[in-house]
Amino acid sequence: MSELRLAGLFVESTPALPLIGLSLSMKAGSSFDPAGKEGVVRLMARLIRRTGKGRTAVETDLLLDAMGASLGAEAACSTVGLHGSSISRSSDRFIEALADVVSAPQFRADEFALLVREAESELVESLDNDRSLARRWFRRKLFEGHPYGRPPGGTISSLQRVELGDVEAAYRRLFVRENAVLGLAGDVDEKTAEAWAERLLARLPAGPAAVDDIAEPQGPTGRHLVVVDKPERTQTQILIGSLGTHPDDPDHTALHVANTIFGGTFTARLCQEVRAKRGWSYGATSSLAFDRKRHAFSLWTFPKAEDAAPCIELQLGMLKALREGGVTKKELAWAKKYLDRSHAFAIDTASKRVSLKVDSELYDLPKGYYEEYTERVKAVTLDEVNAAVRARITDENLVISVVGTDKDIGGALRSAIPELKSAEVVPFDRND
Amino acid sequence: MAGTTASPAAKSPKPSQRERRLEKINANAGRYGRVSFVESVPFGKALLIDRYRLENGLQILLLADKSAPVIAYHTWFRVGSRHEKPGKTGLAHLFEHLMFNEVEGLAAGEFDRKMEEAGAENNASTWLDFTQYQEAFPKGQLKTVLGLEAKRMSKLVLREPQVTSEKEVVANERRYRVDDDVEGAVDELLWKTAFEKHPYHWPTIGWMEDIQGFTTEDCKAFYETYYSPNNASVIAVGDLNEEAVLSLIAEHYGDLAPATLPVEDIHPEPPQLEERRLEVEKPTPTEKLAVGYKGPALGDADHGVVSVMLDVLFGGRASRVQQRLVRELEIASDVRAHVGPHRDPALIEMFVSLREGKKAEEALAVIEAELERVCREPVAQSELDRAAARVELGLLSGLDTAEGKASTIGFYETLLGEPGAAFDRLRQMQRVSPGDVLRVARRYLVKTARTVIFVRASGGEK
Repeated sequence: MSELRLAGLFVESTPALPLIGLSLSMKAGSSFDPAGKEGVVRLMARLIRRTGKGRTAVETDLLLDAMGASLGAEAACSTVGLHGSSISRSSDRFIEALADVVSAPQFRADEFALLVREAESELVESLDNDRSLARRWFRRKLFEGHPYGRPPGGTISSLQRVELGDVEAAYRRLFVRENAVLGLAGDVDEKTAEAWAERLLARLPAGPAAVDDIAEPQGPTGRHLVVVDKPERTQTQILIGSLGTHPDDPDHTALHVANTIFGGTFTARLCQEVRAKRGWSYGATSSLAFDRKRHAFSLWTFPKAEDAAPCIELQLGMLKALREGGVTKKELAWAKKYLDRSHAFAIDTASKRVSLKVDSELYDLPKGYYEEYTERVKAVTLDEVNAAVRARITDENLVISVVGTDKDIGGALRSAIPELKSAEVVPFDRND
Repeated sequence: MAGTTASPAAKSPKPSQRERRLEKINANAGRYGRVSFVESVPFGKALLIDRYRLENGLQILLLADKSAPVIAYHTWFRVGSRHEKPGKTGLAHLFEHLMFNEVEGLAAGEFDRKMEEAGAENNASTWLDFTQYQEAFPKGQLKTVLGLEAKRMSKLVLREPQVTSEKEVVANERRYRVDDDVEGAVDELLWKTAFEKHPYHWPTIGWMEDIQGFTTEDCKAFYETYYSPNNASVIAVGDLNEEAVLSLIAEHYGDLAPATLPVEDIHPEPPQLEERRLEVEKPTPTEKLAVGYKGPALGDADHGVVSVMLDVLFGGRASRVQQRLVRELEIASDVRAHVGPHRDPALIEMFVSLREGKKAEEALAVIEAELERVCREPVAQSELDRAAARVELGLLSGLDTAEGKASTIGFYETLLGEPGAAFDRLRQMQRVSPGDVLRVARRYLVKTARTVIFVRASGGEK
């Protein structure tokens, strides 16, 4: 390799299928959206994907389809990038097409205007998805004033403020060699992968790495309810949560184990109480998200409208019981076996293995985060898990986001949640 | 930083080795536990499926794939919502839920707890023609998982409280997937309207009143009728030893008696002679359009040709209809189409989400123009080549995991009796000619045999 070598090239080779998978990600994302112009970085990624080497969007799609290849563009708060796959016989041409995309995009006004109108229509379309609405308002409220609370896809009003110059500036700032992390998996040997990496790098502009300086989110104080008011809902979508953990936290693994016991599987406490015993919701899970800073711990259920209030009451009680009573030795022993053994499915394909390595690099995860995962899980003690629960889990400082018909459920919800610090009702089609 | 792993191609045992192994396994066979070898079937270029059969009729399909130290184990029953009767719709699906409850010797919840303790990812699904149960687990857990899965084929315990609770769970699933989901509700209405006689008329999840009316006795009768070894195939894919898997299967399923399966009593759908149109209001910001033409069954030679035709028209952003509706006219935000992969002739479905202020009729007019064109003019060879390449990419992408391979094998085995058919189908689709497309377009894109649903945006009462 020459000096062009990427610091972040990750390869997992397997001849199992005549297929390669690829991701080319930048270590910076929509946190670089200018204030009030949320959606810039995502628009940028989608625009360059369409217009490499002066091709029209249709020409790019025809080229990829003919190869038996796919290429997507996506942005999140901390990363932006392109990912795709190709049948092996076309993989060299696929890399060339990707090099065209990242090195020679065209910032044409007509394609940009069309893309903005498409993005707006997708936002309108997403109003049909109640789960997505619940998630959007949960994040917005939980991370109020923080970049994690800003939607990477923007809002209809923010997209209308974006100009072509914003998009081009985002490309110049973020798509630089020093920011790039490349993952290749499948039917490619290491030597070929390195040659492809060099080819891509040589075409990627040089420039200083874009480093975001996001502050640590503070999380809510008190209980906050947001009802996303949508007509004719027979069912609700409910997210309840607070801040979770960051991989650098000393109790990160312990909290991860606690979450597994509380709501991480079908037989975890939450699903047993909500679904198995009461039949209230088809799904009931809790999860811990991660990013470069501490992210969310959340519970997700979707009971019918008349069960929404008791379901929230139950979950608040379960959080309190977890915080006060902790987990048991028996639960811990089960969780360790489950997490140790099921880790096989985090690494059972080349594409999964490479994505863990790419994530480690993109999110600055501690050394050995995935490689030593099962050892860390096995070493966790009951005291450590319960200390993590006491330190991180709260039933008092929460955001509760509910999509439903307010006139049917709003009163019951407000009555069911004692000591509400704030309660607001937002129309589901609010576009700011 | 780079790493490599290799995946040696799997091999089927030589005949003499196989015979010796089977003799060993069969030496202590239970009443129905004798295993016999049936055939080896290619699965792509590098892999081979070995088919065995247990004396009680259980089909066994094994695919050794050493690319990861995991195994996927599937059980596919040849029963789906097509086997239900009016008034009892949704029973196959409710029953699938109940299979995760109490089993003899294991209280409710313990089955899943033990699966999770084994590190297994388990799930199930029901559709028109089948019900399937799936587990993927570290290879060292084979004995535990297979034992659990085999047990519930004959030792399920059905009690009133669990049936009552699970009916409520399924009712909530229906609210999630249908009642509060515009696309789910429209899809259900499309099939309900397009089929009048055939059981594809009702949805797999069932009508709400039927779900709420099931009794424990209904569930017991369904179990006794359809959950027998001669109505099932088990599929194991992954880092497995054939002898070990066959021994366990013989041990755990060898005492199960075959059942007398009822003769399927299905009324074919009469030819549709007039277009059916419906208009509904939904609380959605934009209009939708759903169109269903009567299409071929999965086993029909036309099915692959129709799939290719639909890819030319609707597959990807460069396809004809997507270009017209999304890019050029900017009428739609989302456009899709597919032909149902079902045992009996089903629907060629088209779905469009309109943009704000646009009418569904505008989209229908554009689609009709493109359909008329494909009936009139041969498509270009380059369009067929692109469609074939897209299909190949889709197939390969779905086979990345042991789970993906087991699902593909189980699906084609259950629907067609051909576990390797995914690759035969790909080869067929790669050979589709412009003349083939003209022929199927003229045969199936018949206006009098279609159903059209217009969804108006009510905005709802605020």
